[in-house]
Amino acid sequence: MTVLAEFYAAHSKLIDQVGLDALLALSLSISLQAGQLALAQAAFMGVAAYISAILALNAHWSLLPAMLVAALCSTIVAGLLALPVRRLRGIFLAIATIAFGEIVRIVANNLQISGGAEGLSGIPPDATTPWIYGTLILVAIGLWLFSRTKFALAIALVREDENAARSVGVDVGFVRFTTLAMGGAIAGLAGALYAHSNFFITPADFGFGRMEQILVWCVIGGITSPLGAAIGAALLTILPEAIRFLADYRDFVNGAILLVVVLFAPRGLAGIRLWRRG
Amino acid sequence: MKRPASYALALALTCALIPAAVVLPGLAATTKGPAAGKTVKIGVIADVTGSAAVYGLQQKDAYELANDDLKSGLLDAGGANLTFDVEDSASDGNQVANLFQKFTTDGSAMIVGPTLSGEARKGDPIAVLAKTAVVGTSTTADGITSIGPCVYRVSLAEAQVVPATVARTKAVWKYKTAAIIFGDDNAFTKTDGDIFKTQLEKAGVTIVDTETFHVGDKDFAASLTKIKAAKPDVIVLGALAEEAEKIIQQAATLGIKTHMMGGNGLNSTKIYDYAGPAAAGVVVGAAWSINGNYTGNTSFVQRFKKKYGVEPDQFGAQAYAAAQLSAQLVKDGKASKDEMCAALRDLRVAQTVLGPIAFDPGRDVKAAPVILQIEKGGFAYFH
Amino acid sequence: MVAQQLVNGLFLGAVYALFAIGYTLVFGVLDILNLAHAAIFMLAAFAAWSMIGAGLPLAVAAPLAIAGAGLLGIVLDRIAFAPLRRRGAPSLIALISSIGMAIIFGAIARGIYGPDERRFTLGFLQAPPLHAGPLTFTIVQLVILANAIVFMLGLAWVMRSTALGRGIRAVAEDRVAAALLGIDLERTIAATFFIASALGGVAGILTALQYNSVQVDMGGQIELKGLAVIVLGGMGSITGAVIGGFVIGMVETLAVVFGLSEWRDAISYGVMFLILILRPTGLFGKRALRTA
Repeated sequence: MTVLAEFYAAHSKLIDQVGLDALLALSLSISLQAGQLALAQAAFMGVAAYISAILALNAHWSLLPAMLVAALCSTIVAGLLALPVRRLRGIFLAIATIAFGEIVRIVANNLQISGGAEGLSGIPPDATTPWIYGTLILVAIGLWLFSRTKFALAIALVREDENAARSVGVDVGFVRFTTLAMGGAIAGLAGALYAHSNFFITPADFGFGRMEQILVWCVIGGITSPLGAAIGAALLTILPEAIRFLADYRDFVNGAILLVVVLFAPRGLAGIRLWRRG
Repeated sequence: MKRPASYALALALTCALIPAAVVLPGLAATTKGPAAGKTVKIGVIADVTGSAAVYGLQQKDAYELANDDLKSGLLDAGGANLTFDVEDSASDGNQVANLFQKFTTDGSAMIVGPTLSGEARKGDPIAVLAKTAVVGTSTTADGITSIGPCVYRVSLAEAQVVPATVARTKAVWKYKTAAIIFGDDNAFTKTDGDIFKTQLEKAGVTIVDTETFHVGDKDFAASLTKIKAAKPDVIVLGALAEEAEKIIQQAATLGIKTHMMGGNGLNSTKIYDYAGPAAAGVVVGAAWSINGNYTGNTSFVQRFKKKYGVEPDQFGAQAYAAAQLSAQLVKDGKASKDEMCAALRDLRVAQTVLGPIAFDPGRDVKAAPVILQIEKGGFAYFH
Repeated sequence: MVAQQLVNGLFLGAVYALFAIGYTLVFGVLDILNLAHAAIFMLAAFAAWSMIGAGLPLAVAAPLAIAGAGLLGIVLDRIAFAPLRRRGAPSLIALISSIGMAIIFGAIARGIYGPDERRFTLGFLQAPPLHAGPLTFTIVQLVILANAIVFMLGLAWVMRSTALGRGIRAVAEDRVAAALLGIDLERTIAATFFIASALGGVAGILTALQYNSVQVDMGGQIELKGLAVIVLGGMGSITGAVIGGFVIGMVETLAVVFGLSEWRDAISYGVMFLILILRPTGLFGKRALRTA
């Protein structure tokens, strides 16, 4: 047992990061399951991170209420985003959501209350490993239960063939709205936990770089499989630490792994039509 | 004729002795301190790759040079086996946290770094919880040292340097109006801009224009055109080297001949390498001068240039100063984690390439700012 | 001052326009958002810099670097996109693949050149700035502007009047039909990548000369701006890329003029967002957008 305790003491940060990244990957995978290339998770995460940090720092809220309010806010933001982009598909949706994410980041950079470029520091580290993994497990169970509902079938149908879905009476707009909002909620939980386990947040934490990362995890892990997304996140989060001995070659290896998986491991990637001819 | 011959001999002997006088003390410098024979490892966290690599690489180079110097005896650790374990945090917050965790659990005596203030805000708390001392060498934002009782800093904060910069330049240039241009999405440049603004206003200067840019911007024509139209007596740059050099050159292209000054970020040879004659006259409030003749500075600069082919900048110098500080602490017998924090607190003075440094009760470094002016392709002291 | 600012916006826009042409070409023809375009932009600049540093004159180094960029584009396609095309993988995967290649290119560049910025300047281009009345600008700025317009017109001519151009347009319109009509798909696609990447190389070298700097990161900012440009201009439209570049350059400059410079990028992204919502085909895009 002490071996485990020692391992934990030396790697608890990494373990927490894996849990958080898995949550973020799950949040994106819901949208991807509906065939929506909505790349705003980093922005939802950021909104929630800032709100929960502000509540904790200025109003001394404890983690649970701060987290819930923050996630509620990010869900609302996601819902609001769903409206203007409802007619966009494929790469156009991706670009629009990336633009949205950048705007959110710049707003955080320019406002006083978010600390501007200097960010918010001194956030109490309440989000310990049990909190992170507890949330992850609850979300995972929730998604698993959700996958057995009829609504989940509708989601899959929208992904496969939107017109066919519409013809059997599926409200495509509602499906897209809901998946985006769910993604917003989960990313929000991850964001609050992130703020409360990192002591300090800054707008750059929630920009295009982070979004790219989350997307890569989902693609590597398998777009339609939440479990795959979570595994992809775990692997790629651990990777930089695992290959630390490669020193300056780590970046190259990162890119190479990405390329190799994309080119040679179509499992999970094949047969998913996220892009349709109009 | 004996006299010329004996003079020649005396001259020859003196010339032979000079290099010996320089080299021999270095060789003979290793003494035996209380920690002799012990193995001491100090963890270094630097962004060797990623967006902050321009700074982190200098830091890594400085510590690697320090490792060489420890082996050859140029740096004296009192007979202890001191090494700096340099790890790359890749400008990634997660990796910063992981490295802090690594160094607080693997027996390292102390942590030096990280490269950026934001990273310090993420990582220093980890060291504080683990009661490991941290010495920052490039973190200059407010509130870093107040993160915990063992967080120290050898880098002069902008808040410490800017007042001197303003006072000295105002006395000579006698300006009444100023324009400020600073980066608004980087903690350092933003703080720099804010502090300059406060200090200038305190000194009775009217700010006639404020412009902002983003790190990575290359084109400053729009902002400079506006500044030119506002006709300030002095232009203040809250920027890091890459942007500062372009601002300076593009200002010259637009025919702006106003006095310019800036903070620590401009203390780099890149400024005059890039902007050439346009950079002449720019005043930089800094913490180190490449020409300064503090302990071992000249030889440090030479050795750095010889090993890496580039001159060290302030980041490299501050990193090496931390190495000198560490060697001194170890020489005094501090070899373990628990001893370092008290040792830093009790430090009277350390002789470094930055000059003699000590810490104030707030754990910030006590050192005099160096006000430099660029002239003829080099830095000179401003007068 | 206003006149100078308009000129500033024009020259800034020219840089964006030059970058965006290659970006939009690949998207228009293959529906791929090639995020490695910025890496080729950067590598071409470094290649020219190295060659000039080794003593070659600009007149030799530049064409070599540009041709090299074109070839690199073909290599990029062979490695990262062609296998996916054969598999019929969706364009999202091509996007990820381009990200992987961009990381690899960046790692190679950093391994060779280090993270530091290098000066990129040539004697004759350091000539004192030109003046025209109250306006000030440099030779390089004029060269970039000229290039942007020349390449736009040149590419439009190629598209309209050459067999290759017609082939490219056919492939863009309908890949299957084009193949049925006897067009050699892979050769046409290779040509597209060559042209697009060569143009990216031109943009890289000129940008490096304009700002006297080459650095491994130099493509990062312009990549996102370039996205705004091609959305505004209409994805796939060369004219749109150029006009869009000028518009974005002007918008950014005016943002500074009106004291909104912290919001400068947000305004560009906001424009991008609004265009996608209201008129997804952009100003000049001809492709019908898939809508609900």
